Amino acid sequence: MKVMDRVDLRRNLGLLAGVVVFFMIAVMPVWAGAGNGNAKKGEKIVKTRKLGNCVACHYLPNVESPGNIGPNLVEVMQGYTLADRKDVTQWIRDARKFNPHTIMPPFGTNKILTPKQINDVVAYLYTLKK
Amino acid sequence: MSKKISILLKMLVFPAAVMLVTGTLGSMTGAQAATQSGSKIEQLTQSMSYAEYQKRYEKYYGNFTAQMAENGNPADFLIDDGKDLANKVVGSKGKSCASCHGKDALKLKGAATTFPKYNAKLKGVMTLALQINTCLKNQMGAKPLKYESYDQLALTLYVKSLSNGMPIQVSIDGPAKPFYEKGKIAYYKRHGQLNFSCAICHVKYAGYKARSNLISNNKHHADHWPCYRLKWGKTGSLQRRFRGCMKNMRVKKPPFQSEELRNLELYLTYIDNGDRIQVPGMRM
Ligand code: HEC
Ligand code: HEC
Repeated sequence: MKVMDRVDLRRNLGLLAGVVVFFMIAVMPVWAGAGNGNAKKGEKIVKTRKLGNCVACHYLPNVESPGNIGPNLVEVMQGYTLADRKDVTQWIRDARKFNPHTIMPPFGTNKILTPKQINDVVAYLYTLKK
Repeated sequence: MSKKISILLKMLVFPAAVMLVTGTLGSMTGAQAATQSGSKIEQLTQSMSYAEYQKRYEKYYGNFTAQMAENGNPADFLIDDGKDLANKVVGSKGKSCASCHGKDALKLKGAATTFPKYNAKLKGVMTLALQINTCLKNQMGAKPLKYESYDQLALTLYVKSLSNGMPIQVSIDGPAKPFYEKGKIAYYKRHGQLNFSCAICHVKYAGYKARSNLISNNKHHADHWPCYRLKWGKTGSLQRRFRGCMKNMRVKKPPFQSEELRNLELYLTYIDNGDRIQVPGMRM
């Protein structure tokens, strides 16, 4: 009986741990403020010249001499809530929707970044919210 | 040497004053030009005056390149060699540049101030580099020089140096007009994967930084080329510089002396009308 109990307990603990881990994985992106998308990959994309190269124009943290053509994206992100995710995504997909004379490249429309990469960038941007 | 120092210093310190004197500040800015030629040109406002841009340049870079040039611009060697080349007989007709243009081609003093210019035979814009190659081929029976080769740059630079200190005075009237317009359209055209135009950077965001590069104001883009560029470790032409920006824009680079690049060169040189030729330049 005692042995059985212990086995059951172990099983249940395992199950519990599994549930906790599953739950953490499920909510992690929300928790990071992203909905979905990989913020770590996003950070790489915004800083890589051949990819987003957002730092050519925008201030972003931990980058040596970012450009100043566009607004500081840390400041920008304080003004957005999770409900604005669609707008943030649209800015990157094609900023011409908001400003037809923008200098910002249409990353989605011109296939500079894939939808998945844009999602990752958005996830990263939301980590900048204080 | 000391004359050169003073010219270089003037180049940095006085262009704003020169512009005011020659009255080109207001009339030649890209933004103003944009209003003259209709709907094809995107309306962009100039980010800041040339004087303000210059203040930013000095704050950001100091007089670093001027100081380097004081210690000797490597492009000076090309001028010396260009002079020798001007006297050298080449080609099937036994001629040198000097055969037509006098010893050391000195009769070409001032000639560079009107280039690029319309040429009827070409039915287009003749640049100084193309004129030199045309002379070599047609007048001298020699092989044209490869663009950006040492000898081609040396001859162009030498001939241009004969006009140093003289104001640029290119014409965009009459038959030159449509080519000037085409150059302007090319300058404002959005293209490439990044959807940039020359003007969006050099008009609307001149004085701002693309990463660590200060975007230059398009005033004074054409008065100092061919120019020694530290990034290249080499002297190069204005068209090579165009193609550098085009590569960054991810657009297909037109060949040297193609119609598009010659029209662009006319457009940018016209912006500098009244400014003094100052070759060789030295840039980051
Ligand atoms: C060549 C310049 C340039 C590049 C590259 C660029 N941007 Fe922008 N961006 C701008 C400018 C300028 C604005 C300001 C709005 C405008 O002028 O259209 C802007 C606006 C934005 C906005 C909206 C700001 C607001 O006020 O809501 C976001 C978000 C943004 N950029 C994110 C990015 C991201 C992420 C990248 C890279 C994947 C990027 N940008 C790359 C120039 C650029
Ligand atoms: C995204 C921004 C951007 C675009 C678009 C762009 N440029 Fe530039 N350009 C620069 C920057 C930045 C520099 C200065 C870089 C340096 O050398 O430090 C520069 C330098 C130049 C220079 C040299 C200026 C000098 O003082 O000698 C010329 C000429 C020039 N560009 C022409 C063009 C032309 C023509 C186009 C379009 C075909 C163009 N540029 C498009 C950013 C741009």
